[in-house]
Amino acid sequence: MVQYSYFPGCNLKTNAKGFEETAIAVSKKLDAELVEMPNWNCCGTVHTLTSDNIMKRIAPIRVLSRSRKHIETLEESQNQIVTLCSMCNSTLKIVNNEVKKDQEILDKINYQLEEDEETYETDMEVKHFLEILRDIIGYEKISEKVVNPLEGLKISPYYGCMLLHPEEAKIDDEEMPDVLESLVESLGAELVMSPLFKFCCGSFHIVDQEDIVASQVEKIVEAAKRRGANALVVACPLCAYNIDQQQEAMAKNSVVKSPIPVFYFTQLMAIAMGEPVKINHFNDHFINPEPLLKELGLIGRKKAK
Amino acid sequence: MSKTKTKQENETLTVKIYIMGSAHEVPESLTIMKAMEYAGFKIKRGAGCRAGFCGACGTVYRKAGDYRLYAALACQTQVEDGMVLTQLPFIPAPKGIYDVDSLQPTASSILKFYPEVARCLSCNACSKVCPQEIQVMDFVQYSLQGQIDKAAEVSFDCVQCGLCAIRCPAEIPQYHVGMLARRLHGKYNTSTPETLIERVEEIENGVFEEGFKELISLSKDGLKKRYTERDFVDQKKA
Repeated sequence: MVQYSYFPGCNLKTNAKGFEETAIAVSKKLDAELVEMPNWNCCGTVHTLTSDNIMKRIAPIRVLSRSRKHIETLEESQNQIVTLCSMCNSTLKIVNNEVKKDQEILDKINYQLEEDEETYETDMEVKHFLEILRDIIGYEKISEKVVNPLEGLKISPYYGCMLLHPEEAKIDDEEMPDVLESLVESLGAELVMSPLFKFCCGSFHIVDQEDIVASQVEKIVEAAKRRGANALVVACPLCAYNIDQQQEAMAKNSVVKSPIPVFYFTQLMAIAMGEPVKINHFNDHFINPEPLLKELGLIGRKKAK
Repeated sequence: MSKTKTKQENETLTVKIYIMGSAHEVPESLTIMKAMEYAGFKIKRGAGCRAGFCGACGTVYRKAGDYRLYAALACQTQVEDGMVLTQLPFIPAPKGIYDVDSLQPTASSILKFYPEVARCLSCNACSKVCPQEIQVMDFVQYSLQGQIDKAAEVSFDCVQCGLCAIRCPAEIPQYHVGMLARRLHGKYNTSTPETLIERVEEIENGVFEEGFKELISLSKDGLKKRYTERDFVDQKKA
């Protein structure tokens, strides 16, 4: 079994447990097992734009260094650290690129890490799980593992900002991405394209200016629904939280009628591959996807064919 | 036959240390705490059990020719020649006031009382300073990740000396965070041991009442006799 050093990030252990559990389950099915690295720390988000702020860069470099050690214990492993959260992916990628280009900044960070025997040799690559699915496993192999095609699901991919920006961290073309689109199609669902696929979800404004997030989410969801979508697929726990939670809040105030569920891409894969429903942690969702899945006969049947 | 000592050899070997800037000659075998007392300091705060368990005697020092700032428990660390030191009578770090019964074993419970945990930079200064060699940063991170069980386990040996808190650039009171994590873990993640339930039941049923009455009725000499003759045989098995 090919194994990857998997970096969860804080959300995967709190708000997005369903994202993590489904990802690990499908990774095993695809012979690309995500193995959680031990004693990982915060990825260091949000990435600092101050070029001489060394302190903020220690966390991501420590993650890369610990992951490098973790790889020694894995089978058939390349020097790759795999993330699920697009925010972690972005922060780790950017800082990894910075230290690969700038020996001086790497030296300064390594001075802080040498006593812990955790200096970094710039020998790691940061990969989002979507990149592994697309570039290493391939959609064909994913399709082969589908036992429960997602017929009836009309899914609109929503990328948010971090998967496609900035240049040094993007995993796909920033104007015409197709990774989520191809994945959705390989699972047998209907693809619904929306022009607001990377319209900002409102991000951290959820903390103190909820009205901004509400207004963004309303536009994103309406654009997808108008084109026939009955669900959204995302890769970022913050996007997922904002879109899911704000839809519920707006439905209560009758601003949004008939909200649509938000899935992590790995949840769709797990359902299509016949994994147990409970690993999705649907009870953590604000808009419960189960009624829709039941209505379409995708869960709750005796046995998937 | 062992060689007889010269007068010089028989003298106590001393080292020169600097306590709060002033030089003192102290016997080299002393701990920092005893050395300070030898030098005439009367320690009113910053001493407790003198055995490395209570965590009251946090001390910071530097060594001759070494830029590092070291920290240790004064009662557990031997003086070295050229040491420059001071003892910390108190670490200011307010505790969160909470009712553990009304919380959940989650990251939000930690962040509610110690929101500064989210400021952790993963610099690991806290782990380097810990006299108990705890991976302090790791348990702070586990708390932030909601992995309360791991946070409780990693922080288990903490003696609450507070040295981690004074080195933290994010100003986190790590030792209080660990305490909260252990309380949450004990309350919500672990079950009450059967032996405890049994013992409480036994006490409530008055199983030990006669034994206590007998002890209370004994004279001082009678108590002494019982104490010196006691053994540790498991009464249940015996």
